[in-house]
Amino acid sequence: MKSNSKLWTIISHEYLKRIKTKGFLIGTLLGPFSLVLFFGIIVLVSMSFDDSSRKLMIIDRTNSIGKELIAKENSKYTLSDKDEKTLKSEILKDKIDGYVLIPEDILEKGEVNVYTKGGGGIGYVVEFERNIEKIVRYKRLNKFGADEKVIKLVEEGVKVKTQKVNEEGKIEKDNTASLSFVGYILGFAIYILTFIYGSFVSRGVIEEKVNRISEIIASSVRPFEMMFGKVVGIGFVGLTQVLFWILIVSSLFYFSIPIIKMVDGNINAEQIAKMNTMMQSSPSGGMMGKQMSSPQAVELMNNIPSISIWIGIGFVFYFLAGYFMYATLFAAVGSAVDTEQDAAQLQLPITMPIILTIMLIPHIMSNPDSSLSVFLSLFPFSSPITMVVRIAATTVPLYQVALSILFIVIGFLGSLWFASKVYRIGILMTGKKPSFKDLIKWARM
Amino acid sequence: MENILNVKNVTKSFGDYKASNDISFNVEKGKIFGLLGPNGAGKTTMIRMLTNIYVPDSGSITLFGNPVGPDQQNNIGYLPEERGLYKKMKVLDQLVYFGQLKGMSKKTALDSARLWLVKLDAADYANKKVQDLSKGMSQKVQFVASLLHNPKFLILDEPFSGFDPINADLFKDIVIELRKNGATIILSTHIMHQVEQLCDDICLINKGKLLLSGNVREIKKSYGKNTININFEGSKDFLNNLSNIEVINSTDSSAEFKLLDLNQSPNSILSEIMKFVQIYKFEIDEPSLNEIFIDVVTKANGEQNEIKF
Repeated sequence: MKSNSKLWTIISHEYLKRIKTKGFLIGTLLGPFSLVLFFGIIVLVSMSFDDSSRKLMIIDRTNSIGKELIAKENSKYTLSDKDEKTLKSEILKDKIDGYVLIPEDILEKGEVNVYTKGGGGIGYVVEFERNIEKIVRYKRLNKFGADEKVIKLVEEGVKVKTQKVNEEGKIEKDNTASLSFVGYILGFAIYILTFIYGSFVSRGVIEEKVNRISEIIASSVRPFEMMFGKVVGIGFVGLTQVLFWILIVSSLFYFSIPIIKMVDGNINAEQIAKMNTMMQSSPSGGMMGKQMSSPQAVELMNNIPSISIWIGIGFVFYFLAGYFMYATLFAAVGSAVDTEQDAAQLQLPITMPIILTIMLIPHIMSNPDSSLSVFLSLFPFSSPITMVVRIAATTVPLYQVALSILFIVIGFLGSLWFASKVYRIGILMTGKKPSFKDLIKWARM
Repeated sequence: MENILNVKNVTKSFGDYKASNDISFNVEKGKIFGLLGPNGAGKTTMIRMLTNIYVPDSGSITLFGNPVGPDQQNNIGYLPEERGLYKKMKVLDQLVYFGQLKGMSKKTALDSARLWLVKLDAADYANKKVQDLSKGMSQKVQFVASLLHNPKFLILDEPFSGFDPINADLFKDIVIELRKNGATIILSTHIMHQVEQLCDDICLINKGKLLLSGNVREIKKSYGKNTININFEGSKDFLNNLSNIEVINSTDSSAEFKLLDLNQSPNSILSEIMKFVQIYKFEIDEPSLNEIFIDVVTKANGEQNEIKF
């Protein structure tokens, strides 16, 4: 009873200490923005910088393909009447990036050589290949007398649309693609949050160790309570933040959907025209207005799938589960070192699984039911991220969810056991910087 | 007299090193007990076992009649040698937190902390952050943190270091007052004259072993009256010309030495010295604790070395 109240004293101390800081307020308000900004930058960068920086000179022996290439992409290709020798020397002098020789028999042999200094990635080659392939295919078909209509037919792709059969046997819109992306964002958020709060824990432990507070606290409470109280207190800080964000996001959805529907229902051509001019006249809206007419924007908004409450619950649960498992291990590491730099080094074996998982997210997104994805969503060191992605991207069988919960609870208890053993030795240990092996030795003591 | 603390055959090893090797001693109620020993003797290990930070490998420690454990921690006040406070926390908040960790309610902790700060003339600092305090002031806060909860048993490790003489005296008075009010205190320090002033009983440990324990007066008596303190003017080279003495310490104007030949009278030594220097003070005394400390420890180290080679 008495020692229980001590645990609560530590928890509320750790919680209130952090809630009251300016950093917490700023982090809570700006956290979602920075995540949006982060993904925005990734999307923006991949959209606007996918043009290769390499520009190619073209020697065209067919006298037609070159022109059509330039008609397609005049910023990247330039016709040249110089001979190969001059172009080669210009490459060496860095005057040009490279040149292409389109041979007369390209339609028969289907081979083109690109000459460069080497390096420079493969983006420009892939792009060039895509461009010239289209032209050559057209010319080949044309040469053998294919009709214009036939050529169009050949070039026409096939659009595959996914439809979801619901439990009543009806067909509804399948949002797998957008839901997978939601899963990606949520999985990534768990990754970042686990690290942020985990490092709060190890920083707090190091602070108490370096400032010699550990000894005073250890003479008042059990080391286990000392460590667990800190982990739980900081976990509550994280939970407060996450719940706040969920509240904001869900209320945004709640209020924006009726508005969109209303706009959708009443909108007419005149209003669209008005909105368009408004968007274009405002400096920030200009770009959007050009690329997207308002009905498209409305359609896009409608395409945002309703996020099931289970995704939200799963996110909170796996965030907490992952946090508790990693944070206790971070506490153990923090107790063993004197500086955060040393902590980062010792954390590496612990953080490897989580980093590996992050790298595998694209696979998990596109194959959420593959055996690798299933394994990763059961293995406790990777399940917090993986399971959230899977829950969003597919229908996870209940027994898998149950198993992953069971395993992560076991994983957490194991971490707790290991960490509390290491911690009680670590906080009073000074001098030599221990290795990960030493930590394991301490755990066995 | 009632024993508050019983340490019985306590052993604690770290790897191959025995930081505490079969140590036994008792501390009586209402006494100030000196825990002495050179650096690395195992004092901190012993203190950590008394405060339940470490658990002995073997042997037993009982406090107030019960084995030391988590439940006993509330009865102990501990001032560690390496002082520690949260730098960015306000003094009062910090004291309340430490008080709560010793089982106090928030309110009683707050009342007690305020009372102590007023008593130590530090009430103005209650809402300052520790990082803004002077060293002496944060020492005061640390002191309060260790006795805020009115413990009946206190462990003070080098309690007066970092204080100016005035504050050191203030805290000496506080320690004496605490004892008067019934607290039992373990004092660990290297400053021997403080031990002579304050301690009733002592134990001396070295390399994990107990070398000496008992009442300070009796220990000194048992060493006999064969120490001589002199103040003089002149060159101290004469000390080399005296036979059958052992110099304990000396400066350019004073010396403390021991007569090795018990049959030699102090008078004969005095007349010997007078040949070399002008004497201002000549005193025959029991050995100082300092001398006993050095004597016992060097002898023990010598024996251990002999065994080794």
